[in-house]
Amino acid sequence: MDSGKTTKEILKAKLAEGEPTPLYNPEALAKIKDNFAVWKETVVQEKDRKNWEVTPKTILGSDIPRSLLYTPIDNENLDYAKDLGFSGQEPFTRGLHANMYRGRTWTLRQLSAAGSPAEVNNRLKMLLERGATGTNLALDLATVQMFDSDEPESMGQVGTVGVPIDCVEDMEAIYKDIPIDQISASIVTHYPRNTSIIFPMYLVMAERRGIPWDKLPGSVQNDFIMESVVRSASEYIPPRDDFRVQCDNIEFIRKYVPRWNFITLNGYNLREWGTSGITEMAVAIANGVEILKDMGKRGYDPDWVGERLAFFWSPANDFFEEVARLRAVRRLWYRIMKYRFNCKNPRSMWSKCHVQTSGVSLMREEPMANVTRSAYHAMAAALGGAQSLHVDGYDEAFSIPSDVANLLALRTQQILEAETQITQVVDPLAGSFYVEALTNKIEALILDEIDEIEKMGGLVDVVDSGWLHNKASRYIQREQKMIEDGTIKIVARNYFRDPNLEMPEIWVKEYDPALAKAMMDKLARVRSQRNNEKADNTIKALIDACKKGGNVMAACVECARADVTVGEMRRAFVKAFGLWKTPIYA
Amino acid sequence: MASKKKIRVLLAQFPLETHSRGIIAVAGMLRDAGMEVILMGNALPKQIVETAVQEYVDVIGISTYCGGELALGGDLMKAAEERGIKKRTSFLIGGIFPPKDIPKLKNIGFDGTFLSATKEEIVSCIQSAVAAKN
Repeated sequence: MDSGKTTKEILKAKLAEGEPTPLYNPEALAKIKDNFAVWKETVVQEKDRKNWEVTPKTILGSDIPRSLLYTPIDNENLDYAKDLGFSGQEPFTRGLHANMYRGRTWTLRQLSAAGSPAEVNNRLKMLLERGATGTNLALDLATVQMFDSDEPESMGQVGTVGVPIDCVEDMEAIYKDIPIDQISASIVTHYPRNTSIIFPMYLVMAERRGIPWDKLPGSVQNDFIMESVVRSASEYIPPRDDFRVQCDNIEFIRKYVPRWNFITLNGYNLREWGTSGITEMAVAIANGVEILKDMGKRGYDPDWVGERLAFFWSPANDFFEEVARLRAVRRLWYRIMKYRFNCKNPRSMWSKCHVQTSGVSLMREEPMANVTRSAYHAMAAALGGAQSLHVDGYDEAFSIPSDVANLLALRTQQILEAETQITQVVDPLAGSFYVEALTNKIEALILDEIDEIEKMGGLVDVVDSGWLHNKASRYIQREQKMIEDGTIKIVARNYFRDPNLEMPEIWVKEYDPALAKAMMDKLARVRSQRNNEKADNTIKALIDACKKGGNVMAACVECARADVTVGEMRRAFVKAFGLWKTPIYA
Repeated sequence: MASKKKIRVLLAQFPLETHSRGIIAVAGMLRDAGMEVILMGNALPKQIVETAVQEYVDVIGISTYCGGELALGGDLMKAAEERGIKKRTSFLIGGIFPPKDIPKLKNIGFDGTFLSATKEEIVSCIQSAVAAKN
């Protein structure tokens, strides 16, 4: 299958096959061109002619120039069947489903969970009683970074931005009395290693409750870009090993937990850290391509793997760019699955996506203005055809959302859905000369960046060399300068800033020493009550699996069964793989 | 400016902090302002102080978003005191913390606390803090 050609080369050759069916007739186009030239010369003012193209400067922007006016000339070769088609049909530009939101509106998924396992259990149950259709679990920082609640690194931060998990007992408390075979659970594990450690605790919890794994619906993140590039941390494992852990998790979950989405290719956090909307999508897709190649080497059919891949995107301020991006990436992923991996099943060519409105685009100055920003982000997501949506709270720049902010965000979603009527017509911006030209441009730019990555040896190599880290840090510093000099206009911050501006006192979830103490006491009890010889043996087996190529998640399931803790498993990974120093960035 | 010597700044985060957009942006600002910046990454307070001693820095800047800054900041000051660099070092903290904690942070020894600031504000805060300690 792997011909040595890059994805771009394969697509270029495949798309050139067959007879094109251009939508516009050549005579009409010729006439439009003539008239356009005359109009531009005689009607358009000289200053507008000079500045015909403007490049928008926004937070997380992509620097794509825009013309003053778009016409059919900007998309001369538009081939309706090849480029657009109908909704629910190849190439899926117009949406994954024929009826889109008339059939089912996007999933309203608001992330919220902080406090002790028991408190979070109450909160999840309360949300379910009020009509939520799934649970969405945020972990505290110690758990995200894979430290036990009683390690020195965790001091002062247990339970502040999510729920702490040390061992299976905590998982049992979080999901107590929740029907996990009926209610889908999103567990925000972020990293591959974290997924290997935390998800088995969920599986063992189900096992102890007598619920078979093949009945469990839900999703984890499991993205090595998150672990090796986006996050800041005190320790890393080498990216090549991290990528392998990601693929081990995929293999295990696909085989034994078939209803579970084993990866959410997370463009969101990479972009929010500091990349354009183009790089966001190029990197996520490049990772998807590497995964399918790796799974192919392991003997798995791309159709079987592809069905459970999902993406996670960040829509920011440049409204039409955001709509066009979602359309472009749907078409591009379809083309890659169809032409590079020869998939047969249309479902495995779908790029299903969850979308969270951009957090970095939200400001601390006059935070209520963020409600307006997020509403536009959310509207772009809906017009782009997203499957699932989280709208940020207006207090996003300060904290995890307060209850008031979270409710207002949910209301934004409901107003979009029930009042604006944008959901009545599928892909309503299709056919706009501008939107179609921008969709083409964005698809081409994403493919160019994928090509650049592949020519440098592939995604794992460009992570290992620090290329991606440095690209992001340059982006962040350049953007900061553009904010300081006013090139990027931000209302209430550098544009119409209130001279008497005062920072609001906003709710921030505070550290609770009693919770930390309870977590530490529980750890001491679990360690004294478990069979420590058995626990040690499973840890040794995990190190062995890492070193000798056994499936790491299978080994972690044995650890979880023996009540091994998060921190103990983290240290086993480090022992096996060693530490990696992230490339120092500019 | 009194001194011609370049101001040396160590930028670091406490162990669990996952966000680094802010600290990377600040590193760029300070370099542009002619300072020498060492971007350390995540570390325990003791390790941060150890690096500050080895690198003989004038300033320690901490970036924090997810809490723990009072407890960990306290540890940082204690470690600096023990290694004898507290008096000659300027301490800054920026990111997200409850505004009502600003007096407490200043009280334990932070010379500058930033919830939101321009490049000029950060640079001038460093310059005056360093001048006051020399």
